[in-house]
Amino acid sequence: CEKDLDLQPEDNRSSAEATFQDPDSYKQFLAKLYAGLAISGQDGPAGNPDLVGLDEGFSQYLRLYWKMQELTTDEAVIGWNDGTIKDLHSQTWTSGNEFIRTMYSRIMYQVAQANEFLRQTTPEKLDARGVDSALRSDIEKFRAEARFLRALSYWHALDLFGKPPFVTEEDPIGAFLPEQIQRPELFSYLEGELLDIESSIVAANQNEYGRADQAAVWVLLAKLYQNSKVYTGTDRSAEVIEYTTKIIESGYSLVDDYQKLFLADNNTNGAQNEIIFPITFDGMNTQAYGGMTFIIHAAVGGDMEPDDFGINGGWAGLRTTSALVNKFLDDNDDPIEDVQDERAMFFTEGQSKEISDISSFNDGYAITKFKNVDTQGNPGSDPTGDFPDTDFPMFRLADVYLMYAEAVIRDGGGSEAKAVSYINELRERAYGDDSANIDESDLTLELIINERARELYWEAHRRTDLIRFNLFSENGVWPFKGGVPQGSTTEAFRDLMPIPASDLGVNTNLTQNTGY
Amino acid sequence: GTVTESATGLPVPGVNVIIKGTSNGTTTDFDGNYTISDVSDEDILVYSFLGFATQEVPYEGQSTIDIALDEDQATLDEVVLIGYGATSEQDATGAVEKISAEEFNKGAVISPEQLIAGKSAGVQITPPGGAPGEGATIRIRGGSSLSANNSPLVVVDGVPLDQRGVSGTRNALNTINPNEIEDFVVLKDAAATSIYGSRASNGVILITTKKGKKDSPFQFTYDVKASIGNITDKVDVLNAEQFRNLVTSRSNTDPSLLGDADTDWQDVIYKTSVGAIHNLTATQGFENFRYRINFSNTEQTGVLKTDYYGRNSLNIALNQDLFDNSLKLTLTSKGILEDNSFADQGAIGGAIAFDPTQPVYDPTSPFDGYFEFRDGNTTNDEMRLATRNPLATLEQYYNRGRVKRNITNLKAVYELPFIEGLEFNVNAGFDYAENEGRNSRPITSAIVAAEREQFEEYFNINRNLLLDTYFNYKTNITPINTDLDFTAGHSYQEFFQYFTGRFTNPNEIEEREPSINRNALESYFARASFDIDDKYLISASYRFDGSSRFSEDNRWSGFPAASIGWKLHNEEFLVNSGVISKLKIRGGYGETGNQEIGPNYGYLGIYTPSVTGASYQFGNQFYPTLRPEEFDEDIKWEALKNYNAGIDFGFFNNRISGSVDAYYRQTSDLLAQVPVPAGANLTDQLVTNVGETVSRGIEVGLGGDLARSEDFNWSLNYNITFQENEITALSLGDDPEFFIPQGGIGGAVGNTIQLWKTGYDPYTFFVFRQVYDQDGNPIEGAYVDVNGDNAITEADRQPYKKASPDYFMGLTNTLNYKNLDLSFTFRGSFGNYVYNNTQSNAFIEAVTVTPDDYYANVNTNVLESNFVDSQYFSDYYIQPADFVKLDNLSIGYNFPFEEVDFRASFTATNVLTITNYEGLDPEIFNGIDNNFYPRSRNFVLGLNLTF
Repeated sequence: CEKDLDLQPEDNRSSAEATFQDPDSYKQFLAKLYAGLAISGQDGPAGNPDLVGLDEGFSQYLRLYWKMQELTTDEAVIGWNDGTIKDLHSQTWTSGNEFIRTMYSRIMYQVAQANEFLRQTTPEKLDARGVDSALRSDIEKFRAEARFLRALSYWHALDLFGKPPFVTEEDPIGAFLPEQIQRPELFSYLEGELLDIESSIVAANQNEYGRADQAAVWVLLAKLYQNSKVYTGTDRSAEVIEYTTKIIESGYSLVDDYQKLFLADNNTNGAQNEIIFPITFDGMNTQAYGGMTFIIHAAVGGDMEPDDFGINGGWAGLRTTSALVNKFLDDNDDPIEDVQDERAMFFTEGQSKEISDISSFNDGYAITKFKNVDTQGNPGSDPTGDFPDTDFPMFRLADVYLMYAEAVIRDGGGSEAKAVSYINELRERAYGDDSANIDESDLTLELIINERARELYWEAHRRTDLIRFNLFSENGVWPFKGGVPQGSTTEAFRDLMPIPASDLGVNTNLTQNTGY
Repeated sequence: GTVTESATGLPVPGVNVIIKGTSNGTTTDFDGNYTISDVSDEDILVYSFLGFATQEVPYEGQSTIDIALDEDQATLDEVVLIGYGATSEQDATGAVEKISAEEFNKGAVISPEQLIAGKSAGVQITPPGGAPGEGATIRIRGGSSLSANNSPLVVVDGVPLDQRGVSGTRNALNTINPNEIEDFVVLKDAAATSIYGSRASNGVILITTKKGKKDSPFQFTYDVKASIGNITDKVDVLNAEQFRNLVTSRSNTDPSLLGDADTDWQDVIYKTSVGAIHNLTATQGFENFRYRINFSNTEQTGVLKTDYYGRNSLNIALNQDLFDNSLKLTLTSKGILEDNSFADQGAIGGAIAFDPTQPVYDPTSPFDGYFEFRDGNTTNDEMRLATRNPLATLEQYYNRGRVKRNITNLKAVYELPFIEGLEFNVNAGFDYAENEGRNSRPITSAIVAAEREQFEEYFNINRNLLLDTYFNYKTNITPINTDLDFTAGHSYQEFFQYFTGRFTNPNEIEEREPSINRNALESYFARASFDIDDKYLISASYRFDGSSRFSEDNRWSGFPAASIGWKLHNEEFLVNSGVISKLKIRGGYGETGNQEIGPNYGYLGIYTPSVTGASYQFGNQFYPTLRPEEFDEDIKWEALKNYNAGIDFGFFNNRISGSVDAYYRQTSDLLAQVPVPAGANLTDQLVTNVGETVSRGIEVGLGGDLARSEDFNWSLNYNITFQENEITALSLGDDPEFFIPQGGIGGAVGNTIQLWKTGYDPYTFFVFRQVYDQDGNPIEGAYVDVNGDNAITEADRQPYKKASPDYFMGLTNTLNYKNLDLSFTFRGSFGNYVYNNTQSNAFIEAVTVTPDDYYANVNTNVLESNFVDSQYFSDYYIQPADFVKLDNLSIGYNFPFEEVDFRASFTATNVLTITNYEGLDPEIFNGIDNNFYPRSRNFVLGLNLTF
């Protein structure tokens, strides 16, 4: 009888050794690492979550990352009553904040998954399983991508939390206590990782759509260098010039119409030539209550017509503050409707520009940037209108242009003329003509931070940008920052998020960030 | 003739009178009289009745034979099952309590566990909400675990049921027809339960069903209980006028969105429930063969419209004695066919939230004529985020499920011929359930966004196979005057679950990937009991369990127990006492486990493929994904150490009797779902062995016959339980402030109101301390700044009060006067608190700030708090929920007919609740009152005819 106690799964689940008998399993596991950014579990849109500490829809990677990067800034407020969500905008979060906690869990989950991929694809394992050479060369590329995705998540950890726990494929799976890595050491590790995979990953612009390539590695390297002063105290603008130049010379091009970047067909309408690394979504195949579903639905409410956004209804949550609106105005009292900049995508009907009550959707202009309709206005593939097809442009060329320009101003070398021409390319696309073009005398850091807001708002860059410009906490005021309607400054320690109390409670190797 | 009791001279009704060796017989009526015909000379008349010594009288032509029966001392000391054997109440050394049919709660009881609510100290049975056929929550000594199952192991006629329950049924115990239950035995301490090893930490309930009685005449019984029920109260919500006033009083509202109706939505969704339970029973006993066959039909509608429970059950019990009674075979089979119609309980919250100024019906509505908030005139024009018409939620929903289940076991006891007192037992059991169902909503429902009806079909199998074999040896070691009772055996049990189905997702029909879960347990067990000189009791048991849920290194574990007892009443100095008739002290120690950890393969690293909607795009192709699951190679059972001390006493020939037990329990290697150190595993929270809980309690049970006379009897039973449960360790770290949020609430996503934290009860609330103005009104958003940092952050949230009671009690009275009887049961619970989620959802902006052009109703508490915004975490909503309930009140009359026994009874259940709690019902198991399905008050007419 005692053999009867050795039970193995009998349904579609299986042990590692059984799973990897199938040659397709490696690519499917790789797909999981990418999907970790887009969906929340093994059953779309919900039902078999990766994380269980918070509602499944809330626990999705992009949704959390977006909230960290946008709700904490002048670009977005949310009107809901979910737990401590309003503390993000008022910058009064603590180490008990469940959204911060779950972002941290999600990042480390993604790292752990990538580690497991690397453990399961070592040469020894592949030898033991008799994997043929064709598949092995694919798997080599997969391994480079897994390391890229791990580096991407570690970069988020570096940026948000500074000194996260550190685990690699060398660590076991269990209930051990990972060591904490300090910010400069993590920076060096990531730099080394990215330089190491630069040559083994698929060449720029050559990989399948959706998968990372050399250019994605370069963008991430450039992002590290761009924020190096914040992370390590050392300015690395010269490397920003080096890597942004490589990207710009890799054959990417701006799409003709800014709006196309944020539509259901942005994987085919030309925007794919500008997007260097997307998180892909699909109304039928890649469904989640986070990601683009959240970003599009939550932004629709009031008098907005859900049909215009290709969705069945708004969730009436997200709006923006007057601080972002004013970035498009010469005079704050000017009507936004008169602005020629195509990027000023505000919905104002029935909305007040200033917010008196964050809970009320009508307070604050709504934003119409992301839509689940294609270039012709047809809704996405999900006939119920729940889940959009729109991909999220995580890295795109316009961002790289602005990174180049900023590095030029920060004495990283490069060419001022090129910097001006890159910015003018963006402006000409936005205005339809050269009426808003700049020249070299306009090239200031203030222009860059504001141009980044105008070009990249709601694309999950804002918090990092404001910190780099020292405008996030001690400086910089926008409505409801600090929890007061007119806004106030906050203490500098808020440039880092707290290590969640729950992990400090279980992992005695960790110490909290200063101030929390 | 007439049969009387020799000690009192009172008539004894129900005595079996039978001609020996035949099936010709009768029973005495209520006055002890009997008539028997066709008696020949040399026939022997046998008079038998439980608790009395059987008498045999040769028939010699007498026309009248009066008999005086003597109490049987042996049977007075009742036999009590203890798992793989039996003992007597006198000789039990563990905390064991038997509750027999005559003590059961009265009424139209569908779920067996409700028979014993309030009857036993240490056993907390929280009745379910008002849905028909729903199961109660059972906790013996408060449960032992955090994340693992906390329900006791239930063993029916020797077959342990799957602790995970059976899917699709409202209550896995409903397979057992309450009418057919002979008794419950509750094993509370580890000395008693550890023979069940790895499943025993939460106590064990042994259920024995009725069997045919030896040498009893054919008897046919028809019993019917017809009931009607109504909700006792409604949630206080704003009426149409109050609602209109609130909306119009706010500045940025649009009163034109209001209707002109005055609808009480709770009146719309609730109705009077009706139900009937019919039982037909035939039983007969010969010398070597007995049978009992019962057919039962139960139908019950819910107080919530469209809710329905129906059950047909067939119970068969056959006993055959062979080879001179040396081989005893018992076959029991319980089959049910259960039909459910599940109402959409979302309508309960909908009825609270729906705008009372809107009508129920709207002739222009494309949604089958139900009023809905909408933007246009087609079935896709509903406002997606608006509250849905609660009546449409119910009536446009079809959800039927059918469960077919059979529990059958064959037990053989063979007395081995060569050694006297040695028996060999085999128990082969089989529990098989199939569950299939379908639910759907038409496209004309505003809940359906897709272009086709929404539907789901499912099909599940649950199977549980058991084979027990054990020897039992009983002997008397004469030189030292010691009775020895020794048992040793082996058990194997396998649990199998299979689920499949198909559903619309949302526009295509998709097959659900079948899921299979199997786990198995293998066990060796032994027990030895000694009764020395009829004074000193020693008992020890050991179980060695292996579970498929753990790796080979952790698979096997032993569970020992030992207990002692001293029967003081048999000592010289007490044996002739006229006052003390029973006095026994006992003490025991035992270890048990808990293997209901949830995952079946928690120690194995396994991969789960993704299903529909969870693929990722590479190029133009969508790839399904593969996820490695978290695992803990070292996962093992929870271990419980349990100390128990007790005293049993009886005075005045046991007219007053009782027992007191005190216990201390410590669970270590606690299976809890806890945050795993980030990065260390493939999840954020892992079920693993971490932490410890300690519980302690005192249980007192008292019984007394306050009046005993020919015409009037009054007996009273009372029990009270004091218990506390505390988490003493919770994580791998040592941070005293570490906690894990628990207890999700309604209103916004992801909010919790309770916590697990070292030093606190697992049902402790976690709140801000509300600040009040001088008139005692809460000040919105003003909380005590506990840490003094001049900001109110979640660092100021504090553990405060708990949902579990400090003590609870039960009181049962039974009175008879001649043929009239009256019984009632009170239950009470004290020191427990409830989070009033219905009130915390009530704030002004919940009414007026909605995501679309409609308004939503709330609890009238908003008029008292005047809160504009949500204050979910305020202790203002933590409300004392002590209560005393008159659970049932029953009056019955036995009609003194000659040929048939006829009894009529009238019972009211859920009669009265005394409480200060402001919500609907203070008795909510986890202490979170959110859209609670109201329990109805029922009136039951019962008729019982025995031929």
